[in-house]
Amino acid sequence: MNPLVYLVALVALATVLGLVWQRTQGRVTRATGEAAEFASSGSLVTLLQFSTEVCAPCTATHGILDTIARETDAVAHVDLDITHRPDLAARFNVLQTPTTLILDRDGAIVARIGGAARRDVVRTHLDRILETAA
Amino acid sequence: MSTHPGIDPRAPRFGAGITAVLLLVTIGLWLGGATVAATILLAAIVVLFSIGAFAGVQRHPYGRIYKSLVRPRLEPPTDLEDPTPPTFAQGVGFVITAIGLVLSLVGVPLALVVASSAAFIAAFLNSVFGYCLGCQIYLLLARAGIVGRTGATAA
Repeated sequence: MNPLVYLVALVALATVLGLVWQRTQGRVTRATGEAAEFASSGSLVTLLQFSTEVCAPCTATHGILDTIARETDAVAHVDLDITHRPDLAARFNVLQTPTTLILDRDGAIVARIGGAARRDVVRTHLDRILETAA
Repeated sequence: MSTHPGIDPRAPRFGAGITAVLLLVTIGLWLGGATVAATILLAAIVVLFSIGAFAGVQRHPYGRIYKSLVRPRLEPPTDLEDPTPPTFAQGVGFVITAIGLVLSLVGVPLALVVASSAAFIAAFLNSVFGYCLGCQIYLLLARAGIVGRTGATAA
């Protein structure tokens, strides 16, 4: 094979992979299940974040979600390091960190955010949930 | 997490960019028939990965290049980052390229191209898209019981 053809194909493949990965990051998707023991009592919504110890975006996401929880009375933020909790990773099917679950007041999972959270996206979604909960 | 002082998050991405280009050159040399040159270059890349993985990403030569040549031309970083994740990524790069080098030296055909291509994709994604290898792989390794602090498992 012409080396140049291979190199161009390799760069193209990596670019496509990167664009696909980027699209999935921070997207809010509908989810089901329950995580009642992690729901913060007295809050309408709990942002349940799963982190690991080797994860820079986890720290960034922690900051964003923490700020949102402090700005909004009805919202709580819980950050769990699941490096040593494979049971939790398996139970909630966490394949990457950070992964964030949005819980309602009863601890039912309503949505899931894979990858680094984006402030505006989370904000918009929370406003919609709080509107229906009010 | 870590008690190390933070690093400029752009430094490892700069380094990954250089690594990605060197890996492309390695593959091009091999496919072009210059197998000896390709093997030597990959060996050099393995050594560079090992510095990042074992001495810490702060001591990596690319980090020094970044500090002396690139950073002075940029705005100061908005926030600093824990050096543990990029150090882990260097370790993954070291394992992949070292396996490719060894297999190639014992005569496995295309081992060098396959390993270099895999390492290139990871380095490219890291450099261009800010992809965090540790965020995807570390959890899987932890779930398999391969990494993680000892003593705290099965909490």
